Amino acid sequence: MTAPITGENGLFPRIGTGNPQADLVLGGGLPANSINIVMGQPGTGKTVFAEQLLFCNAGAGRPIVYVSTLSEPMTKMVSYVQRFTYFDESRLGTEIQYEDIGPLLASDGPPALVPWLSALIKERSPKLLVIDSFRAIHDLGSSLSETRRMVSDLAGLLTAYDVTVLLLGEYTMADIERYPEFAVSDSIIQLARQTLGTRDERYMRVLKLRGSSYREGQHAFRITQDGIQLFPRLISPRVATTYTPRLERTSTGVAGLDAMLEGGVWAGTTTLLVGPTGSGKTTVAMHFALEGVAHKEPTLYVNFQENPAQLARSFSLRGVDLVKARADGLEFMYVSPVELQIDSIVVGIFDRIKGGRIRRVVIDAVGDLVTAASDTQRLHDYLYSLVQHFAVNGVTSLLTFESGISTDGSFDTGEQRFSYMSDNVLAISLAGDERTRRTIRVVKTRNSGHDPVVRELDITSAGARVS
Amino acid sequence: MPKQGTSENHSAIILVVERDPHVRDLEAFFLNEAGFGVEFAADGEAALALAREIKPEIIITEVLVPKLDGLALCRAVRKEAELKDTVVLIFSILAAQSRAREAGADAFLMKPLAEQRLVQTVRELLASRASSKAEAVRA
Repeated sequence: MTAPITGENGLFPRIGTGNPQADLVLGGGLPANSINIVMGQPGTGKTVFAEQLLFCNAGAGRPIVYVSTLSEPMTKMVSYVQRFTYFDESRLGTEIQYEDIGPLLASDGPPALVPWLSALIKERSPKLLVIDSFRAIHDLGSSLSETRRMVSDLAGLLTAYDVTVLLLGEYTMADIERYPEFAVSDSIIQLARQTLGTRDERYMRVLKLRGSSYREGQHAFRITQDGIQLFPRLISPRVATTYTPRLERTSTGVAGLDAMLEGGVWAGTTTLLVGPTGSGKTTVAMHFALEGVAHKEPTLYVNFQENPAQLARSFSLRGVDLVKARADGLEFMYVSPVELQIDSIVVGIFDRIKGGRIRRVVIDAVGDLVTAASDTQRLHDYLYSLVQHFAVNGVTSLLTFESGISTDGSFDTGEQRFSYMSDNVLAISLAGDERTRRTIRVVKTRNSGHDPVVRELDITSAGARVS
Repeated sequence: MPKQGTSENHSAIILVVERDPHVRDLEAFFLNEAGFGVEFAADGEAALALAREIKPEIIITEVLVPKLDGLALCRAVRKEAELKDTVVLIFSILAAQSRAREAGADAFLMKPLAEQRLVQTVRELLASRASSKAEAVRA
């Protein structure tokens, strides 16, 4: 398999990284005929990134050469790469060649690198070159001026020839100002890992990409058997100000609630449903989802608390023929709360709606995402972008949010931060000593009037009803 | 071990006008290996003087060379009766294809150096030149 050559125009061709999502972040892939630095501490995935790229680009004539300096024995690297699905033994030795120049550098120092590479280019005409670890070469230099001369000479050689280069290294952010290769590089990609409780989260970030736009910020990724699985940071759609909203009311599916909303919510809007635990949010959310299915609107139900079997039972207990509902367009997306990583969840939802087929979405509950998020500002940015994508795609959505028990309907800060991104806000309250009494009120509706009266919300085995 | 370039069996003399030492080194290697003889000049004026002396079959020049840039060199070559059969190939880091054509160049290639593309272009230009000369003789 050869990575497609893509790019903004013929002058600046790109090479694929073997990962379509990383290519998206990089604006189409790495620039061809360029010098690229992949930096990160040990274990962040630099080698996996590079190997995925080189196996993807192997073939079609000229070879790829992976050059090890000092950091890792070659046999160890070849041994580990076999565990990934992108590994193809038939390419080794011919299309992908491994070289170890550790002994040469140890005996002759950094100045030996450029003549060795020049000879390599003349002998093998490589189209891709990986040097791992480039940072380790600095440890062999007698002075910074010596390595500066070497890097300058190296940049001259590698710019002169039709080759794309990856320099891998265990660089820190402070190294960017210290080492000259950062000045001559065409791109800098940082891979990092941070610990959140018992979980580790990995991020990729583009720090520099000459002559091209790229998607800024941290992009979460995982390392799987298939290599790097990247979740590009969700950004608000560029067409947010130019789309045409759907001018039609759509039913919530809860008897009596539509009347409070002057006939239902506007299609393509987002509704936040707030209430304490046990108030019936999930029941209302189910009505909302099933109403969509009843009107042949493919509906995605995102849930973090009940696994698929539990959720199926909840629907069945309310008399729902789940087999029929699925056949009519009800889809579930379940992620265990202990596995929650907001990037993968939000990007996963986005991937499901971006084709334009899904017309309704329920997220039950966004509070679970808050609990899982290592960075709440990032979560809010993601959800805001997601809601914008809902609007542009004409998706009507309902987000549930668990609040503290309150009788006055006041919001805490967390709820307020979600309400600003919602077109409509509904609040359920619990009251009563001997018998629980639920009430619902409409807090806000954008571009619509609503019933100001607080009304009873009855939850029975038959479902929810406003009276 | 990397193989060494050879200057045996040269079928044509190529004048390379280039300042960059790495490009010079690689061009010399790959053109020698393909069987061509290579001479160098580091600026346009020196290149024009050398061209008058050795009458190369092809001049390969970067646009960005001192004293007389590659395009001016091309125009100057086109005015020299004794160099009327010399082919000019502009090989540059600049996307100067249309300016190269206006200057009278026979071909344009963009850097970086890709040896297969370079050698193939040189061979095609030489074949075209030989064909043109043969037609001129018949006429």
